[in-house]
Amino acid sequence: MLAVLCFAGGLLSASLVRLAPGYGVDERELDPRLSQASMEAIRNAHRVNSNLLSYYGRYLARAIRGDLGSSEWLQQPISSLFKERFPVTAKSVASGVLLAWGIALAISLANVLFPGFFVEISGTLVSGLFIVLPAAVVAIFSVYLHAPVFLAIAVVTFPKLFRYLRNLLGHAYSQPYVLAAQARGIGQARILFHHVLPLVSPALFALLGVSLSLAFGAAIPIEALCDSPGVGQLAWQAALNRDLPLIVNLTLLITLITVAANSLANVANERAL
Amino acid sequence: MRTRRRLRAVCVAVLCVIFVVGLFAGTVSPYSYSKQFRERPNAAPSSSHLLGTDSLGRDLFARLIYGTRVSLLLAPAAALLATLIAGLLGGFAGFMGGWCEKLILSAADLSMALPLLFVLLALRAVLPLDIPPILSVIATFILLGLLGWPSSLRVVWAATKNLKNSDFLLLARATGCTRWRMIARHVLPNLRPILLAQFWISIPVFVLTEATLSMLGLGVTEPLPSWGNLLRGLEDISGVSANPWRLSPLILLVLVVICFQLILPAQEETA
Repeated sequence: MLAVLCFAGGLLSASLVRLAPGYGVDERELDPRLSQASMEAIRNAHRVNSNLLSYYGRYLARAIRGDLGSSEWLQQPISSLFKERFPVTAKSVASGVLLAWGIALAISLANVLFPGFFVEISGTLVSGLFIVLPAAVVAIFSVYLHAPVFLAIAVVTFPKLFRYLRNLLGHAYSQPYVLAAQARGIGQARILFHHVLPLVSPALFALLGVSLSLAFGAAIPIEALCDSPGVGQLAWQAALNRDLPLIVNLTLLITLITVAANSLANVANERAL
Repeated sequence: MRTRRRLRAVCVAVLCVIFVVGLFAGTVSPYSYSKQFRERPNAAPSSSHLLGTDSLGRDLFARLIYGTRVSLLLAPAAALLATLIAGLLGGFAGFMGGWCEKLILSAADLSMALPLLFVLLALRAVLPLDIPPILSVIATFILLGLLGWPSSLRVVWAATKNLKNSDFLLLARATGCTRWRMIARHVLPNLRPILLAQFWISIPVFVLTEATLSMLGLGVTEPLPSWGNLLRGLEDISGVSANPWRLSPLILLVLVVICFQLILPAQEETA
């Protein structure tokens, strides 16, 4: 899957950059100080990339060496921009996802273990309140409240996680063998770790990958509006400045990271089983 | 159950009222969304301006109603496009099986792995930023429709697969029913509730995504209003605390999404 994604994503990225309006237009051609020979050299450099397939071939060869080209807007190598910005986003996303999972698991378990009107309605209300807010509005509120970026990411990720987790755990706890274990007086912790979690673990691992993808998506508006110097803010600035090589390569790299995380989760799940 | 049914009826009624008001924005609104009252910027609500004016002196009530039209007409259009793509591809994959199924499901899995907002940003960046407002609206919602199909496809595919293995289709096949007749008379009518549920589920998702894109300046462009670019007014904290009626687009958006969320279970149950 990762190999197919690399190939297809690379081709799509190269095609987007190559076919975008304005590709090959160089501002230096407007400089009257340049000689005719310099102009011709600039045009020749662009002519080399006129064929999409040859352009893709060169793009792929450079990407294998870790060279993703340069940002047209910042005039810096994309790989160094990514290395500089990614740790900020990775930290926010990891903390946000961890917090969202913690809260979603706690409320879902409370819903299943202590069923009652108050517990059920509070979980539904909290998740319902957050799910109807666009990520950008959550970001603005976090700026008002001086809340950290990871908290905003957790707020966006939590309601979607909670809905799945509550259903998954509810389904697992209604299985006959779990009811039988409860009837025999086995402790709740033992039931959870020995009977419920093994049943829901494949879905939980899949959900982990999805939550990462959700969190990276939420990072764009949150980092952009909270002025956090991460990949999300860089992607937004690249889109506003029509820096296609940068935005397309960032998308490809983030996608590869989420797919790799999904694959790792699958491998971990298979080993656990 | 009865309370829930009543709640759903109220939600449907609220949505219908908002939809009709948005549809007849030209009649309901006293002013055009772009008309400026230069002598009255940031005006408080009054009889002539029900929700006051923005910093450019434009009537907020008029902009909210026209924004409702943009968001509430085009989000269902995008949801329809996404559901159609999911229905066609998911139905085809489920019914045909074999390599077609593998190819379509792999494409859906691949698309689901992509962070939607990153891809939207990349595709939106391909288009010039200064395109006419109408084109920006169409581009935004076409992009949403074209990228929002994978999760619905999985559901449609699973339902079609179940239908394909059902007894009544086996009987239809045994009686010599042709493939196209089976699709038209047996598969499609049974898929209708699922497609309808997917359509309803997609609408609030697209409304929220448009709001986020427009707040980032990459969705519907000024002077055309949408809920997303009206929400950009929230970025000025002092403006919001001094003029709390600027929260009206957010309140309307939250109300609409809540209504959609509350009527969704009814659709899921039918599915």
